[in-house]
Amino acid sequence: MHHRSAGLIRRLGGAEIAAVVIFIVVFAIPLSTKSVLVYSVLNQVLVGVVAAFSVWIMLRMNLLSFATPAFMAIGGYTVAIAGRYDITNAFLLTAGAFVLPALVAVPLGALVLRLRGTYFVLVTFVLSQIMQLLLFETPDLTGGSNGIAGVPPGTLLGTELASNQQVLLFACGLALLATLITALVTRYFRQHFAAIEENEILAESLGLVVWRYKALGFVVSAGVAGLAGYSLVNMLLTAHPSSFDSITAVDFIAYTIVGGRASILGPIVGSTLLVYATNLFGTHGQYAQGLYGVLILVVILAARGGIVGTVGTLLRRRA
Amino acid sequence: MHEFLEAGIIGVSLGAQYALLALGFTLIFGILGVVNFAHGGFYMLGGYVAYSCVSGLGLPYPLAVLVAVLATAGLGWVFELLLIERLIDDHLATLMLTLALYLIISTGVLVVFGPISMEFTFPVAGALRAGPIYVPRENLIVLAVCLAAILAVYLVLFRTDLGRALRALADDRAVGMALGLRPRLLFPAAFALATGLAGLTGALVTPILALAPGVGDPVLATSFITVILGGLGSLGGAALAAFIVGIVEAYTSVYFGGSAGALVLFVLVLLLLVFRPTGLLGRDVRGA
Amino acid sequence: MKQHRALLAAATAICVVCTTLPAWGQGCELKIGSMGPMSGGAAQWGLAMDAAARMAAAEVNAEGGLKVGNKTCHVTVVAYDSKYTADGAAAGANALAAEGIHFIIGPVGAPEATGIKPVAARNEQIAWNASYAKDALMPRYPLMFHMGPGPGAWADAVIKQALKYFKITSVALIAPNDQGGTDIVSVDEVAYKDNGIKTTSEYYQRGTTNFAPIITRILAANPDAVDTASSPPGDAGVIVKQLRLAGFTGPIGRNGGPGTAEILRVCGGIDVLKDFYWYEAQPPNTPQMRAIDEEYKKLLGKDQTFGTSMWSNLPGARMTLKAIEVAGTMDDVQKVAEALRHLPVDDPNMGKGVWSGQKQFGIAQELMFAFGVGIIKDGKEIGVTRVEPKL
Repeated sequence: MHHRSAGLIRRLGGAEIAAVVIFIVVFAIPLSTKSVLVYSVLNQVLVGVVAAFSVWIMLRMNLLSFATPAFMAIGGYTVAIAGRYDITNAFLLTAGAFVLPALVAVPLGALVLRLRGTYFVLVTFVLSQIMQLLLFETPDLTGGSNGIAGVPPGTLLGTELASNQQVLLFACGLALLATLITALVTRYFRQHFAAIEENEILAESLGLVVWRYKALGFVVSAGVAGLAGYSLVNMLLTAHPSSFDSITAVDFIAYTIVGGRASILGPIVGSTLLVYATNLFGTHGQYAQGLYGVLILVVILAARGGIVGTVGTLLRRRA
Repeated sequence: MHEFLEAGIIGVSLGAQYALLALGFTLIFGILGVVNFAHGGFYMLGGYVAYSCVSGLGLPYPLAVLVAVLATAGLGWVFELLLIERLIDDHLATLMLTLALYLIISTGVLVVFGPISMEFTFPVAGALRAGPIYVPRENLIVLAVCLAAILAVYLVLFRTDLGRALRALADDRAVGMALGLRPRLLFPAAFALATGLAGLTGALVTPILALAPGVGDPVLATSFITVILGGLGSLGGAALAAFIVGIVEAYTSVYFGGSAGALVLFVLVLLLLVFRPTGLLGRDVRGA
Repeated sequence: MKQHRALLAAATAICVVCTTLPAWGQGCELKIGSMGPMSGGAAQWGLAMDAAARMAAAEVNAEGGLKVGNKTCHVTVVAYDSKYTADGAAAGANALAAEGIHFIIGPVGAPEATGIKPVAARNEQIAWNASYAKDALMPRYPLMFHMGPGPGAWADAVIKQALKYFKITSVALIAPNDQGGTDIVSVDEVAYKDNGIKTTSEYYQRGTTNFAPIITRILAANPDAVDTASSPPGDAGVIVKQLRLAGFTGPIGRNGGPGTAEILRVCGGIDVLKDFYWYEAQPPNTPQMRAIDEEYKKLLGKDQTFGTSMWSNLPGARMTLKAIEVAGTMDDVQKVAEALRHLPVDDPNMGKGVWSGQKQFGIAQELMFAFGVGIIKDGKEIGVTRVEPKL
């Protein structure tokens, strides 16, 4: 009996199970407190984690993607534009926020995934820049530089998600969904992704149809980013181009690397720490960016493999 | 009609400036494998150091530029030796390190000099004119200095032992080390050379344009685009791509406007990469 | 032994007195927030907002504190860097609310104003945005106030004054391609058209440092004048420099926020600028305005280095503190807002003004003081003409 359940846990992945549990437990926070700071930071963390997951999925194949803000924009603006036509059903919007970026990722992936390594990185950066310009050039659809303000609250099973608590609970829900998707995809295709991460050419020579898995990863990563975009627009009740600036990609990458790229818990830990730090440093006016830089510097130098990686090494050394 | 010629002149000026930045960026990538997020920071520091020399110490401008180059090169040397060396094999970690450095440099400059543009003008004013066509004298001088710098870099890298060692390490570090090359001495040198180039560009260009915290931000994006286009690790590619980017940017801005122009430029780069995934002159490259 | 005990008793007594001193009279602390971009290209505006808040607080503290009901409170300022983004401002409002702050001096930019409105309303915070956004104020956000009017209120006066000195039948406007640019240019265009002037507009990628190509494009249409609208002063300075290098001899205008001093610094001096018309957010460089900088130095011990936009933010900061005093409470935000709305607009340095905004936004919560229109002609400062506020 013990043997069989241990095997199951190993198959599902201890870290993945822990991640899912975390996002189930997190529902308790909005239900047990009304603190403005907790609500604000938690909501930002939930958005950040989902975006970091999007980065992390691609990083499983050793591909660093800067395209997260572009796909977040697609997800977020889909929701905002749907709101204009009075579509507020939360299930429909969630599906839309996932599917539309994923659909766009298919042709983009065909274009972009043939590039390896650092070329991929830089090209995804260009994609995010292009998205910003597209938003600006399409004022009738996207509101241009003003964005779309006053997005109506979503409705879930009949109730309108209007209060702060409801918005936060919904964000918890989106984060849980993203965690499940990320965990399932990365766990199921763990070996395929790992083979590509190790040595892509070798994997291909051994019979792995590499482009299929890269495409899958890219599409799922785009969909997850779309969910992050929905969560962000939901938090602000506004879809504004400044929220999807290409430079925010650096933040999400930082969350993943600082947290630790080897485990699904990495993006979670990284987002929590760095989002909290941003809020903390924000009240120091002009020193905010510098303090953030110092924090990243210290963590990167002190913790090889990110925070989760370092903790893992310490635990293993003890054992 | 004269706009066409004017766009070309502007494009060449831009190209020379971008070339210096791209050369440094691709040097660091090619030899160390580091994506230098702080490149714009060294550009900015070059401008501020030169400004401080001119207005604070009263030094003549050319001397100030020299000081700026030495200062940024020195800072780059120290940064590489003390921080990047420790994590040289982890590309993502070094990316984060250079990012952190950029944030610290930006904040430092903001706190020390304040947010408002400094009064820093190029010592030579006026333009050469032929009808409606004009070339500002400052642009010509900067173009000349840039070309001289590119030539100097080429000579160092292809005609000296140091340069040969650097290129060997870029090609294959393990073999280079096995043959006795010492990365601990050479890597800081490569980094310093690159940051010195960025500082030189800053010291030259900020008096032509403006000097304020934040002028470093677009440098990174430009360096990225230029280096992808040219092919990572390829010096010739970087120089060539820089001029192409400068000229394309000038023409698209003149004929399509500011943001539509930028869009066209990005899409062109994207399309080019579809057909030549390693850039114009690049080679196949290591992973992220 | 006896001396020891006496000393110990004395020390204890002093300690007890010291720790209970705060409870006597002072004791209360009023925290207000300042918000705006404090890093990046727009940092000078955010820091100017912060400087205004700090000066208003210092003025009140120098008199012993702010009288709130029967307590006297020491005023402190907490600054938040909202990075010129909508989500930055929203996060800032929440972060400040978490510190119990209900009065925000700021934010600055149009995206920030858009982002903060719903969140500040949810947190019951009074805020003063300084943006020129088209929706800077909205009737459904009664706790949002506006530091000063946008071009809708003054562009016409600026253009009419310019026409007295320069012949202008067509103008090219240039601004960055985000909300901070587009909102202002669209209003400026209306003002020009109302005066029978043809307009073309060009937007540049925010982050552009070299404007030579765009200038070549603009000049191809042969405009009589070029208006830098709300381009940041650093950019505007480069635009002026490069316009003159390109051989443009027409007048250059600025129907956007303040920044003439910085433009002069960057472009190379008044001989380069030659012909210029601009909006000055406060009456000419009178002794009353310069007094602000002197007082700033006296109260805070350093030079005011953030330009004239700091002056424009000061009345709003001062009036907020005054409203708290008049309402007698710092906890009942609605009461303070009501008191604020009824305060006469009369600032010791800016002079008398009016509550404007009804026509443009449908809610009269915007401060409008006498402003100025500046003219430089043939490289000489003609002067800044005072224009009285008109509703």
